[in-house]
Amino acid sequence: MSDPAAILSGGKGRKPPSPRESMSRRNVIVKKTIGYVVLVLMLLVIIAPFYWMVVTSFKGNLEISNIPPTLFPHHPILTQYEQAFGVYGFGVYFRNSIIVSVSATIVVILFASLASYAIARLPIRGKAPLMVGLLAISTFPQVAVISPLFILLERLGWLNSYQALIIPYVAFNLPFAIWVMRTYFVGIPKELDEAARVDGANLFTTIFRVILPLATPGLFTGGVFTFVACWTEFFFALTFNNDTAFRTIPVGIALFSGQFTIPYGTIFAGSTVAVAPIVILVLIFQKWVVAGLTAGAVKG
Amino acid sequence: MAASTDCLIKGMEGETCMRVSKLDRQYAMAGYIMMAPALLVIALVTIFPIGYSIWMSLNTIQSTFTGFSFTFSGLTNYAIVFANQQFWQALEFTVFYAIVTVAVELVLGLLVALALNQPIRGRGVAVAVMLIPWTLITVISAQMWAYIYNGIYGVLNYLLMQLHIIGAPVLWLGTAGLATFAMMVADIWKTTPFVTMILLAGLQLIPEDLYEAAKIDGASVWKRFWHVTFPLLRPSLGLATLFRILQAFGLFDLPFVLTGGGPGTSTTSIAMLAYRAIFNDGDYGPGTAVAVTTVGIVIILALASLKALRTQVGEVES
Amino acid sequence: MKKNRMALLAVLATGMFAVTACASPSQSAAAPMVKKASAPVTITWSSGTVTGTGLRKTMIQLFEKENPGIKVQILQQPTNTDTTRATLSTQISGGSTSPDVFMGDVIWPGQFGSQHLALPLNKYLPKSFFSRFAPGLVDGASYQGNVYGAPWYADAGFLYYRKDLLQAAHLPVPTTWEQVQADSLKLVKMHKVKYGFVWEGSDYEGLTCDWMEYLSDAGGQVFNAKGQPVMDSSAAVKALSFMRGLITSGASPAAVTTFQEPQAMNAFDQGDAAFLRNWDYAWSNSQTPNQSRVVGKVGVVPLPTFAGQGGTGHACIGGWDIYINPHSKHIAQDLKFIEFITGYQAEYTMASKFSEIPTNYAVQSDPKVKDLNPVLAIVSKTHLVGRPSQTPYYAKVSQAIYTNINAALSGQVSVKSALAQANSQLKSAGSSSSL
Repeated sequence: MSDPAAILSGGKGRKPPSPRESMSRRNVIVKKTIGYVVLVLMLLVIIAPFYWMVVTSFKGNLEISNIPPTLFPHHPILTQYEQAFGVYGFGVYFRNSIIVSVSATIVVILFASLASYAIARLPIRGKAPLMVGLLAISTFPQVAVISPLFILLERLGWLNSYQALIIPYVAFNLPFAIWVMRTYFVGIPKELDEAARVDGANLFTTIFRVILPLATPGLFTGGVFTFVACWTEFFFALTFNNDTAFRTIPVGIALFSGQFTIPYGTIFAGSTVAVAPIVILVLIFQKWVVAGLTAGAVKG
Repeated sequence: MAASTDCLIKGMEGETCMRVSKLDRQYAMAGYIMMAPALLVIALVTIFPIGYSIWMSLNTIQSTFTGFSFTFSGLTNYAIVFANQQFWQALEFTVFYAIVTVAVELVLGLLVALALNQPIRGRGVAVAVMLIPWTLITVISAQMWAYIYNGIYGVLNYLLMQLHIIGAPVLWLGTAGLATFAMMVADIWKTTPFVTMILLAGLQLIPEDLYEAAKIDGASVWKRFWHVTFPLLRPSLGLATLFRILQAFGLFDLPFVLTGGGPGTSTTSIAMLAYRAIFNDGDYGPGTAVAVTTVGIVIILALASLKALRTQVGEVES
Repeated sequence: MKKNRMALLAVLATGMFAVTACASPSQSAAAPMVKKASAPVTITWSSGTVTGTGLRKTMIQLFEKENPGIKVQILQQPTNTDTTRATLSTQISGGSTSPDVFMGDVIWPGQFGSQHLALPLNKYLPKSFFSRFAPGLVDGASYQGNVYGAPWYADAGFLYYRKDLLQAAHLPVPTTWEQVQADSLKLVKMHKVKYGFVWEGSDYEGLTCDWMEYLSDAGGQVFNAKGQPVMDSSAAVKALSFMRGLITSGASPAAVTTFQEPQAMNAFDQGDAAFLRNWDYAWSNSQTPNQSRVVGKVGVVPLPTFAGQGGTGHACIGGWDIYINPHSKHIAQDLKFIEFITGYQAEYTMASKFSEIPTNYAVQSDPKVKDLNPVLAIVSKTHLVGRPSQTPYYAKVSQAIYTNINAALSGQVSVKSALAQANSQLKSAGSSSSL
């Protein structure tokens, strides 16, 4: 049930209607509808520019710079997609991006959840400087780091490979993932750890059986951000993986452009396709968005 | 038990309040081991490049055939940077930009997160749709907005004229103040999902019982938000603010694609200066000095905003 | 269930890590040191798309036929000159031996030469090699007496116009800037076309090109013979005032201050502009049916100059050179590649099949080539002017120019103060201790 008043105060409004409220059932239904409408409107506003991108990808070059612009394609065609996949070999880039992003994300989730739990729950020393240090590493601009990183990778002989991207992506995304998950872990009541320990569980069981299942929103957030960061990263991918066999999507799309031409249609076609995997992943893991915290795990 | 309740919700410092004991030492050991993989990877990959960059900022660099030649020059590069008028201009623009976009995104992100916090059907789809702007490649998103804002065949002008909101096409990217505004809109559109996700996760941490208790006590909508939601959301708000400020200081793709830093230099950001210094001019010394300065400023701002959120008045109702 | 999922993820992660670390072939593994005389050498050529119709492939095919012991592999680069420069300078300053040769902008010799990112060709090739190029091009590729780039194909600015509109209004083809302005206003007032004259006025390198054309036409320079900036001269004021005047009078839409080549080209292709200043590609672009609505209605002439100067105006030199990576392990083969690709056969094929302006002077003046398309016919009539790129600080120089010119064009500052600001920035751009 969607109760706008409950929405605004942050609750989920799951309380069943009290006798007073059930007297105005129509009122409740109206409020519920308003809640839905508000959400749908928000989503429409968010999606409007993206709609424009998708629609443009189905237009021919001539129609794209038409004055005035056509809100819906007059002659919808699939040529831009054919160009992207056929002429430019987008399929290879897709495969490479998937390999790199999925690998990096899995490693980050794993390492970050372990590290965040330790920082949030265990009596280790030097937490504040550690967190600030991680922040500083996150902040460092890519442009300053890319030259020495290139030299490092070159000495290792790792240029033009998957690890050339996976390992830097893992390293540069871990700080943020640790911050996200640690913030999340800190919010889970300590009682749960203690209760599990009292029940005789060791640390491993406590983490994996009790805490992590409740921490899925934190894991989801860290995972989604890492995946998107890897999926859309351009500079490292361009400099380290020049070879066509290892090229990723962002670089591939950048190569569509000529010196004096920006083929909006083909670029947007590639981008539209590139959005799909992330949407699919979000839908697969959508159960993780919600926490089990309020499902009766905490008593008093 | 009392000690545990005090430790129920903690702020940014994250200090646990377990008393030191032999068991705790074992746990600490386990903790170090758990942190090791992450810290190892980070250290191996980032320490050398970052250290190298910082070292570069303290030297006068020449690019020679056999590599870079270093001549230690202390803080000379920093002196050059701070004496440069363009640096202060870019810094002023970047700070202004960061403050405005982060503030707006926090508000919008909170609204969307609250809306998504409802157990409605199709929430997964709604979350996926909401995330789409964030999933676009930054450069592509910028090109899309350039296409939308175009002064001659852009769709924004077309729509506004059809709705009779403006009479003639507006030069969004070519007018000094408007260009900044247009860029902010593009940025806010793209990065609000980031804030929304963090806040949505944070909202999941708030136990339902607290709202029930507040409702029973007769608290109004606003009071419930202010006294239940907001204080418990502080850590997530802090996190979102922190990293948005960090990202805002890295602003590069949008001005690079949309305006080239113009009109004139009105939308040139610090990151663009660092990029130009390093890649266009080959001034590795001053360029890395700009980068290090950026890090310093962000850390200061981050610590300040963390402090600000901690000292807010907010009680947890239990 | 959740625990199992976690465990599965852990196994997958370790597995993927291991697989990718072992599986990907290491491209930089050292090649066998001893080369048999008959084993083909592969050199890597970093380059962007030129025409999109297979120009580079054709060049490589021709080259490999003539040189069976050498294979050429393309490393694709984005065509954005800034992005490519960033990647190449990172790689080469990092000591990378790849690419062996690279396609680079004509404005790079100063920066790449001073930073040792390109091989000085004059130390490896005889003087006679350089005499094959059209005048001015070799100077443009030099820095402090060393030639770093071999001019591959040239480009210049041209004036494109709508034949049909001029005929309908009984106007002759303009030969002065003032005529361009007057004709634009007339055509717009007669509602024959939406916009008059479109060009590139955005905050980027292309504006420096456009600026050099007006400045030279007015008789001015950026640096005088002693190397001092003279952007506050009366010639500069005349040039900038004229450019600003195009916008304020309505001859050019205010949007030109946000135009780079694609936007200006689009406006012209859609049939909404009467005049266009653009590079040589605009000819074939405007005659391609799925890009342009003005096929068959376009004419091209050399750029005009200011009234009273006589002759044709100045056109800014563009185009691309081939450079050699100083760390390349195959310098002998790289030199052969350069010699071939700038030779008569390759350049003639490039001009005839792909309509690029050849840098080889013999090819340029060949009457058969001139007949091929209108741009090639008038190339030799243009007065070429280079950008002031013979300095390692060219990026700063160009920035000092285009940021201030753009500020004046958008009306942010007055013409005089923009030029004064540009001049002072040019003064400090010359020293290495500035940002």
